[in-house]
Amino acid sequence: MRWRHLFRVLHRDIGYTCVALTLAYGLSGLAVNHIDDWNPNYKFAEREVDLGPLPAGTLDAQEKFVVAALELDARTVRGHFAETETLLRIFLTDGQEAAIDIRTGKGTLKTTTTRAVLFEVNSLHLNNLKGVWTYVADIFALALIILALTGASMMKGDRGIVGRGKYFIGAGLVVPIGFIIYLYSG
Amino acid sequence: MLRFALLISFALGTGCDRGPSKSEAATAPAITPTGTPTGTPTGTLTPTGTPTAPMGPPTGAVKTTSFGAGVTVAEVTSIDKILATPEAFKGKTVKVEGMVIDVCPKRGCWFEIAGASAGQKMKFKVTDGEMVFPIDSKGMYASAQGQVSVKDLTLDESKQYAEDQAKEYGKPYDPASITKPMQIVRLDGTGAVFRDKK
Repeated sequence: MRWRHLFRVLHRDIGYTCVALTLAYGLSGLAVNHIDDWNPNYKFAEREVDLGPLPAGTLDAQEKFVVAALELDARTVRGHFAETETLLRIFLTDGQEAAIDIRTGKGTLKTTTTRAVLFEVNSLHLNNLKGVWTYVADIFALALIILALTGASMMKGDRGIVGRGKYFIGAGLVVPIGFIIYLYSG
Repeated sequence: MLRFALLISFALGTGCDRGPSKSEAATAPAITPTGTPTGTPTGTLTPTGTPTAPMGPPTGAVKTTSFGAGVTVAEVTSIDKILATPEAFKGKTVKVEGMVIDVCPKRGCWFEIAGASAGQKMKFKVTDGEMVFPIDSKGMYASAQGQVSVKDLTLDESKQYAEDQAKEYGKPYDPASITKPMQIVRLDGTGAVFRDKK
């Protein structure tokens, strides 16, 4: 049948086109599935600091003191917030934050770094970009549907969907259906 | 087939080049514990959003990033005032302004805005994925619009809430530290604009 040839060609070429995004989404899927156990986008580091008691004065002055004492780039300072009467939090660009007890000068300096590759693929997979990317993701989703349909129907006879294929399709259905039944059985 | 492949490649390329859009959908919850604080947020946040301009070290012009439906309410309502009399604002759509002092560390689905007084802050919450606030937004200034939500928790719910918060911030949780029911006051966010300067 000519349509089987067309399906094979479609499956092959759409498959090639989808390789990059399938790998990206698969990688991201693994990463975000375990979001309760780790942060798939960022790494955080925190170090203890002890600056000694901060000089009396305004919070602005104390912010400047902390920034100088920690040898931070003053140009990256965005501002500060008094979390409590004694805890001063100073925010810098790139997710850096110094949290210092103004009585003791003890506190932490936190830094944030982006997880290379994962941050980008997660942004695509979770459609954080919105806008035009939504349509690209739609096209990809349609492409996956086409891949499934052409993949399931490209072979005929014993190796096709009416032969051994139906058992594999059935096996693929049993697992999610089992979980759905479990979901509603409780 | 080659023509089809080129078409797909063009579509993908166009999507990447265009980058983020200017607006996203919105509607959701926001938060602010007024009862017993659950601890000091550590500051671990989440990704992307809808930048209308890049962020980074402050330079000359004010750079802004818009989220969701943006901000349309003209009058600014004081966060301290909302927290002082939450029932008076319950269900009302308000605009608040202040420094971003925390962002959801994993999904970017909320951020906290500082009030005028020490420790005063209000959580702006959206449904996961509707808006994604970047983790590096702390210290930026936000105008945020949404509906004030007030929820009185039972003691058990308060303990569960505190446990969830502690888990999210990676902080230890001691159930004994929660001795009375909490009231959660938050903004169910519809839109926000971040600026890198006040």
